[in-house]
Amino acid sequence: MKQSQNILLSVEGLKVHFLGDGPPARAVDGVDFTVRRQETVCIVGESGCGKTVTALAILGLLKQPPAVIAGGRITFDGRSLLDMPAEALRELRGRRIGMIFQEPMTSLNPVFTIGDQIGEAVLTHEQVPAEAVRQRTVRLLDEVGIADAEQRIQDYPHQLSGGQRQRVMIAMALACEPDLIIADEPTTALDVTVQAQILTLLKKLKQEKRMAVQYITHDLGVVAAIADRVYVMYAGIVVEQGTAGQIFDRARHPYTMALLDALPTKEKRGQRLYSIPGSVPHPAYKPKGCPFHPRCRYRRSACETVYPDMCEYGRGHRARCPVLFADALQMETSS
Amino acid sequence: MSAPTAPLLTVEALKKYFPVRRGLLQRTAGHVKAVDGVDFQIQPLQTMGLVGESGCGKSTVARLILRLLNPDNGTIRFDDREITGLDERDFKPLRRKIQMIFQDPYSSLNPRMTVAQSIGDGVRMAGIRDKAEQRNRIKQLLEMVGMPAASADRYPHEFSGGQRQRVGIARALSVSPQLILCDEPISALDVSIQAQIINLLKDLQKELGLSYLFISHDLNVVSYICDHVCVMYRGRIVESAPAAVLFDDPRHPYTLKLLSAVPEATTVGWSPRVESERPKATPPGGCSFADQCPDRNDACNQAPQDLVRVGDEHFVRCWNAS
Repeated sequence: MKQSQNILLSVEGLKVHFLGDGPPARAVDGVDFTVRRQETVCIVGESGCGKTVTALAILGLLKQPPAVIAGGRITFDGRSLLDMPAEALRELRGRRIGMIFQEPMTSLNPVFTIGDQIGEAVLTHEQVPAEAVRQRTVRLLDEVGIADAEQRIQDYPHQLSGGQRQRVMIAMALACEPDLIIADEPTTALDVTVQAQILTLLKKLKQEKRMAVQYITHDLGVVAAIADRVYVMYAGIVVEQGTAGQIFDRARHPYTMALLDALPTKEKRGQRLYSIPGSVPHPAYKPKGCPFHPRCRYRRSACETVYPDMCEYGRGHRARCPVLFADALQMETSS
Repeated sequence: MSAPTAPLLTVEALKKYFPVRRGLLQRTAGHVKAVDGVDFQIQPLQTMGLVGESGCGKSTVARLILRLLNPDNGTIRFDDREITGLDERDFKPLRRKIQMIFQDPYSSLNPRMTVAQSIGDGVRMAGIRDKAEQRNRIKQLLEMVGMPAASADRYPHEFSGGQRQRVGIARALSVSPQLILCDEPISALDVSIQAQIINLLKDLQKELGLSYLFISHDLNVVSYICDHVCVMYRGRIVESAPAAVLFDDPRHPYTLKLLSAVPEATTVGWSPRVESERPKATPPGGCSFADQCPDRNDACNQAPQDLVRVGDEHFVRCWNAS
């Protein structure tokens, strides 16, 4: 298979701005990434970095206005999503692209049984007789690990635990056997042992159904547990990308390095944690030059004025920091 | 390290059951055993971790210590004084010695009060009457938590989550406590802010000689900050050990499950203990973890009553531990 055919989703130069009083909030400010078939790609960053807005733009779920797509292209399986009619996009959503959100309780309708809601997900995109819908619903619940699925289809969301609700959300996302699942912090509200079950389930389903997963999270531990490739976002841009190994063992962007150094672990007992000074800039008032420079350990005067280019470290590993790239080059030539 | 000094806080056989009411007449249909016989001690200058998942009873323990709830059974001794039986008047001076920091800095500060007002209540409680002295003390407290003095006259909504948590800490410090109960103090904060608050808590501990009860579900943080850790499951402590021991040599099957579930930001690989088969019912009176325990045997039909000593300061509530 050629490389280009292998790419399921590609986002190029995406810009999403929010208009209001004052200057526009540049929530997504030129983001590029790709998701290949059957690959798990993690988008990691702190609140306000633009990771959720990017996902909503892909799904066509941004409320416009106040949001404006100020530039860029989104291509899914060769078709451009941004100029697709709403009807066609709705057809694509759910059928080819499944979604899982953070809060399963607010995403499920409390007055319908879970059987009705999964059945509806099936029926929205396919005409199937009622009995076939029921069988499919039971099979889906079974696949996501809900015991006694035959009985449970009559349960209402409030009768389920948080983990079970998230399993129901996954069942709905799987209903039409999508090529891509976009999951936005699906385990953040769950206990760690339940999170382990859901992540294990997602890994297993991805294998069995040959799906790609775009997983959005702030938790670097989760990223390490499931990612094939990782994009690190800060202040609306991608600052580093690479395989999980490249990101965790040889991070090349000061922000990624700072995040890893700031994580408390038992190995760091007794040492002071590295703490990133300041806080994330407001998207309407981002600093000039590199948006991370006011908080950066390695900043030079150029960082205050020059927008940093992506630097190529090979094998898909890229980081948007010319300062460390120059250092790395020098180390290589001198050794 | 076992210090020969007297513990600052001793909790013994602590119990709190909440009634479950059902039906038209709201008759008591049963009880939720939120805290079901909990014992532990906190030494001066120590950070004691209380870990477990939602509903295990860890926050109820904190509320019992603060006497926001009354226990059904058991004793709590603070600084060698029993506080369980005290009436409100006798407890008041002690309440100053025990303070709390909450998870959500957005809802734990009064939005209508300036920072100075929020902290000022405590400053007055601590007996500072003179206005100028109060002002100075507020300024000093803000400085201690790394906030500019100018923030005193601003409102909570003007600050970020990390800054609000700093204000929450300053408020707790305003009455010069000895023990601070930290209930998930960094869970609501961004990763880049968490380290700032953790470092601050450690600095203040050293500077002011504080003890912490650190309640958290984040085991990475607990492994970093705590001296001793108690693992709670369904209202009981199932394992208790010095942090270094607990994370390197966990013995209770629930602790093993919990630790294996934590994904770490490394490439060493992640293989959680996730049970595939359905839980097996346990007879009443059996071990509360038996329904999902991989090492279950006939002995587990009877709940282990006591913690078994398996090493220096290392205790486990499991028949298979010894």
